[in-house]
Amino acid sequence: MNDPSTGLVIVTGAGTGLGRAMAIELVARGRRVAGFGRRPEALAETARLAGAGFEACTVDVADADAVNAAIDRLLLDGPPLSVLINNAAVYPRRDFLDDTPQGFMHTVAINLGGTVHCTHAALRHMVKSGRGRILNVSTFADLAPLPASSAYAVSKGAGRIFTRALRADIADRFPDIVVNDWMPGMLATDMGIAEGLRPETAAKWGVALALSNDPSLSGTLWERDTELLPPQSLKARLKNRLLMRSQKPRRLGDMGFS
Amino acid sequence: MKEIVERVWDVIVIGTGVGGGTAGRALAEAGASVLSLQKGRQGFRTERQGLDPVMADPVARAVRGFWPDPVHATINGRQQTFFAPLGCGTGGSSVFYAATLERPAPHDLDAGSTHPGGGWPVGYEAMRPWFDAAEAMYRVHGEPDPLSDIPCPRLGTPAEPSAGDTAILDRLRANGLHPYRLHTAIANTPGCLDCLGVKCPRVCKMDGRSAGLEPALATGRAALLDECEVVALRGEPHRITHVDALHRGEPIVLRARRFVLAAGALSSPRLLLASRSEAWPRGCANEHDQVGRHLMFHANELFAIWPRDAGHGSQPSKAVGLRDLYTLEGRPMGMVQAMGVNVSYGLIAHFLRQRLADSSLKALSALAPVAATLASLALGQAKLFVGLLEDLPYAENRVVFDARHPGRIVFEYTIHPELLERRALFRKAIRRAFRGLRPVFVDWRPELNYGHACGTLRAGTDPATSVVNADGRAHGLDNLYVVDASYFPTSTGVNPSLTIAANALRVAHLMKAET
Repeated sequence: MNDPSTGLVIVTGAGTGLGRAMAIELVARGRRVAGFGRRPEALAETARLAGAGFEACTVDVADADAVNAAIDRLLLDGPPLSVLINNAAVYPRRDFLDDTPQGFMHTVAINLGGTVHCTHAALRHMVKSGRGRILNVSTFADLAPLPASSAYAVSKGAGRIFTRALRADIADRFPDIVVNDWMPGMLATDMGIAEGLRPETAAKWGVALALSNDPSLSGTLWERDTELLPPQSLKARLKNRLLMRSQKPRRLGDMGFS
Repeated sequence: MKEIVERVWDVIVIGTGVGGGTAGRALAEAGASVLSLQKGRQGFRTERQGLDPVMADPVARAVRGFWPDPVHATINGRQQTFFAPLGCGTGGSSVFYAATLERPAPHDLDAGSTHPGGGWPVGYEAMRPWFDAAEAMYRVHGEPDPLSDIPCPRLGTPAEPSAGDTAILDRLRANGLHPYRLHTAIANTPGCLDCLGVKCPRVCKMDGRSAGLEPALATGRAALLDECEVVALRGEPHRITHVDALHRGEPIVLRARRFVLAAGALSSPRLLLASRSEAWPRGCANEHDQVGRHLMFHANELFAIWPRDAGHGSQPSKAVGLRDLYTLEGRPMGMVQAMGVNVSYGLIAHFLRQRLADSSLKALSALAPVAATLASLALGQAKLFVGLLEDLPYAENRVVFDARHPGRIVFEYTIHPELLERRALFRKAIRRAFRGLRPVFVDWRPELNYGHACGTLRAGTDPATSVVNADGRAHGLDNLYVVDASYFPTSTGVNPSLTIAANALRVAHLMKAET
C-alpha cells in the first residue's frame, strides 16, 4: 500500500527558489525528498540546506526518457512515490521577435513538457496502488500575458489546461490520485520580483497542500493559502442558492493541515 | 501470445462476466486448461469508476471497461441508439453492479408450475446445491427471506443495518410486509469501500473478476487474453473446432476441445448468428431460427420514498428488499428492493432530460436543470427503490445480427399489453405496500432494465423452440456450452447474477463429468 504520509516526495526545480524552499520544508517535516534539477551544484546546495532526507537527482525535466529513468531508479528499492510537485519552470523574459521558434519551444518543453513527463512517469507508479498526490505549481501568467513572456505564458497556461485534461482521464478511475494547481503568488526569487513574498513562506503553503491528499482537493485551484472557486454562471448561483449550498473557499489553516 | 495461439486448450471461455468467470474458475480448478477471452481490456486493478451513460467517446469508454459503442434498439417500432449499462473488461458488466445476488423462487424454475413461461428444463431442487455453492463462492451476505422456508446455509450474516434502513424495515413490517436485508455479494472486508455500482479496487465486492477470473488465473492452468474480440465460431456440423478473433485488431485463430459462450445475452446470440458458414448456413446452433429470440429484460419500476423517521442520515438505503409482491393475482411480478443510491441532482436532471427528449415536450428539455433543481429540493432526503417486474419471453423480441456492423449490438423489442397490465397492478401494489413512506414513482413509461438482458439462447428440451439443452449444451453440437443469462428460459423476478453463477457452476460440473 502506498501510504501518502510516508512515501517519497519528488520536487522538480529543487535547485533554486521555491523548489529549494519546499524541499527544505518537506525534509524538516520528516519526508524523504528527491529533488530534480539540471545543475548539480545548485542541488548540492539544497542538499546541504535540507540535510539528510534529501536526495539530489540531476535530471532535465524536458527530457522524457531521463525523467522516466530517474523515477524508475528512485523507486527501485526506496519507498513508493506518494507525492509529485511539478515546480520546475523557466521564465526567459524574451520578446517574441527576439526569441527563436526553437527557443520558444524549448521553454514549452521545460514548463509544459516537464510537467507532462514527470506526471506520466509518476502515474505509472501511482496507479499500482491507486493513490498519489500531484501538485502543479501554476500562475495567472496566461490570463493577461505581459510583454516578453510569450513562451512562459503559453506554457504555464497550457499547464493548467493539462491539469483539467488529466482529471478528465483519471479522476473517475482513480479518485485517490489527487491532482490540483497551486499559485504561490509573486515571489522574491530569481523568477519573481524583489518585493515579492519570501519563498520560505510560500513553501509552507505549498507543502501543506501537497501533503494533503483529500480527494475533494482534486481539480481545485489555490492561490497562496486559499482556494479559488471557479466563476459561476448565474444559473449555477441560482441553483446553489435554492439548494442552500453556499460555496465558501477553503483556507489551509481551516482545513486542519498547515 | 505465441503459446496461447499454438496451444489446443481444454476449454475456451468467451467472456469474463459472472457466467464466464465462474465457469472458467470451476473448470480450471477441476484441472482443465482454460483460455478466457474478453473484448475489453484488463485495465488497472485499482480503478474505481462506475458506468457513465453520458461519456460518449468510444476510446474513453473502452479504457474504462464500458461497452464502447451504443446499442441500436428498435423498441415498439421506434429506433433508438443509447449506451446500455454494459461492461466489456475483466468481469464484464458485473464489476459495475450493485452485487445483489438473490435466488429466484422455486415456481420460477419448476416445470408444470403456473408460471406463464412454463418453467425451466432444470427444476429448483436440481439447482439448489448450486445456489448454495454460488452463495459461498460470491461470499453473499444477507437475511433469509421470511416468506421462504428454503434454507440458505451458506448465506453470511450481514453487517448491522444503518439507522435509516432500520426505520424503513420497521415501517414496512408495520405495514404487514416481510422485508429483509438484501443478499449482497460484498465480503465486508475491513475498510470496505462499499463499491455498489463501481469497480472495487480490492477483493471485497465479489464479481466475475474477483470471484471468477482471478481465482481461475491463480490455479496456474488458466490464461486471459484481453482486447480479443471473437468474430465467429468455426467448425463442422456437430463440432466447434476454433474461433476467429481480432486481438488488438489483428486476426487470430484460437483452438480448444470445448467452448463456453458467455459474452452476455445481447452478444452471445450475435456471435452465433455471425458464425454462418457452410456447416451452419443459418448461423451456429441456429437450425431452427431460435438464436437471439425470446429476449427479455426486467421493467424497472423506480420510486422514491421519504421515510419520516429514518433519521437525517444522508446514507442511501442499500440493503432492504421484499417479496410480498412477487406474485399478484397469480401473475408474475418481482422483487422490490433498495437501489443503493441517493437521489442526486445529476440523476434527476439526467432522468428529466431523457423524459423530455422522449416526449412531445422536447422543446422544454432546456428546462430540465430548473425542474431538477426544484425536484432535488423536494427529493433531497428521498431513498430510491425499484420494483423488478418480470418480463416474459416472446419469440419476436430478439437480438439480430447486422452484417454491415458485425460488432454492433442490435435488438428488436415490443412491449406487450400484458406487461402494461401487470405493471399497473404492480405499481398499485407498491403504492399500497409503501404507504406511510410517501412513495412517488419517478418513471411513467416502462423502463426496461438493459443490464438484465436474458433468454436469447434459451434452454429447453425441444430443439425447435430452444437453443441449448438443460445441461447448457447447444442442441446438435457436441462441444458448445452457454453459461450466461442467454440460457434463461424466463427472466424470474430477481436480479440475474446469482442464477447465472449457480447455473455456470452446474454446467461446468456437468462438463467435468463428461471428460
